[in-house]
Amino acid sequence: MAEVKPNYTLDMRGEVCPVPDVETRRKLKTMKTGEVLEVLIDYPLSKERIPANAPKEGGEVLSIEETGPSEWRIIIRKQ
Amino acid sequence: MQGTLIGGLIVGILFGFLLQRTRMCFNSAFRDLRYFKDNWLWKQGLMAIAVETIGFQAMAAMGVIKLHPSAFIPAAQIVGGFAFGMGMVLAGGCASGVTYRIGEGNVTAIIAATFYAISAAAARAGKLKGLTGLFGKPITVTMTNPGVYAAQDGKVAPTVANLFGLNPWVVSIVFAAIILAYLFFTKTSQRKAPMHWAIAGVLVGLVGMLAYWSQQTYSLGITGGWINLFTATMTEAPYNWIGMEVFGIIIGSFISAAIFKEFKIRFPKDPKSYVFAVIGGLLMGWGAGVAGGCNIGHFLSGIPHLAISSILASIFFILGNWFMYWLVYGRN
Repeated sequence: MAEVKPNYTLDMRGEVCPVPDVETRRKLKTMKTGEVLEVLIDYPLSKERIPANAPKEGGEVLSIEETGPSEWRIIIRKQ
Repeated sequence: MQGTLIGGLIVGILFGFLLQRTRMCFNSAFRDLRYFKDNWLWKQGLMAIAVETIGFQAMAAMGVIKLHPSAFIPAAQIVGGFAFGMGMVLAGGCASGVTYRIGEGNVTAIIAATFYAISAAAARAGKLKGLTGLFGKPITVTMTNPGVYAAQDGKVAPTVANLFGLNPWVVSIVFAAIILAYLFFTKTSQRKAPMHWAIAGVLVGLVGMLAYWSQQTYSLGITGGWINLFTATMTEAPYNWIGMEVFGIIIGSFISAAIFKEFKIRFPKDPKSYVFAVIGGLLMGWGAGVAGGCNIGHFLSGIPHLAISSILASIFFILGNWFMYWLVYGRN
């Protein structure tokens, strides 16, 4: 898959729910169609919750990539 | 392993492993229901409660345990419950949530749990005990034949069954049937979780039953355990079953997180998160100390007794949780 260049980055490492979900949704709300958001997380539950909740703000999850021990990078495009 | 420290430790390890695997956080369960329109964790919790409602009743009927509904002090459960509910939002997890997240390496969870233990101990047995007493004396029901209940001088804390003179079996079966009907005949949110909510709920319920058998005086709890861990470590008081159970939760969660590669020392970047953990821990501990239990003692273990105290406390846990979530995150 071609690397998508994110327009914004949210570094949510160290935070537990609901902070990563809430901040992701808040950011998505302000973004324009086609823009891409990169969310960095290290909390396992957020990896399950963000993909479940992002579509409610028009976010399409393009990829979830493991970037380290219990660390993930989620790429979301605003539709 | 009845009433022994090793019994508490084993039950705690099982519970901690399950909490980590099933992401059993009641802070999330309550919040998701209203603000995320997501009922996955809520249904998981209710499934456990349905299993325990029948399980505790069956164990008591067989004479394996006596039911110990929690003391009913209405003002304490309302005020303490609301404070606890607000605190869990700031602390980033309920009492069991912050406990199991210590095993995952979460630094804010360690901070929240420490302040939780301090303020709960202060409210129950320390410098804030006088204030706790102002909420009143327990209201009890006098029963000539306590049956499945543990009574003191014929007095038992009120439950739906003994308050209205109903057969506890009938109440339990009707209640469990209502929960099951809700669980399986309403729409459930979808989630890619490691374990299906229904299976997770049944397993948590079974651990709750094992806990009751092992401890004898109650099922799972968190608050009393944290108080015991601190006081027994810093004074000459002995460790007890529930202190070991809380210690076991941390170990069990660590084992699960290590096996599934989810252990990591996690530090939030935002300084605000640390301040929230301290304030949230203090509020939660004080609230649970006053209310006589947390989301585990009152919600998970208390509702299956259909204890009036636990039902009232749980309602205010949820209201406090929704109020603080709205205050901090929900207004824009």
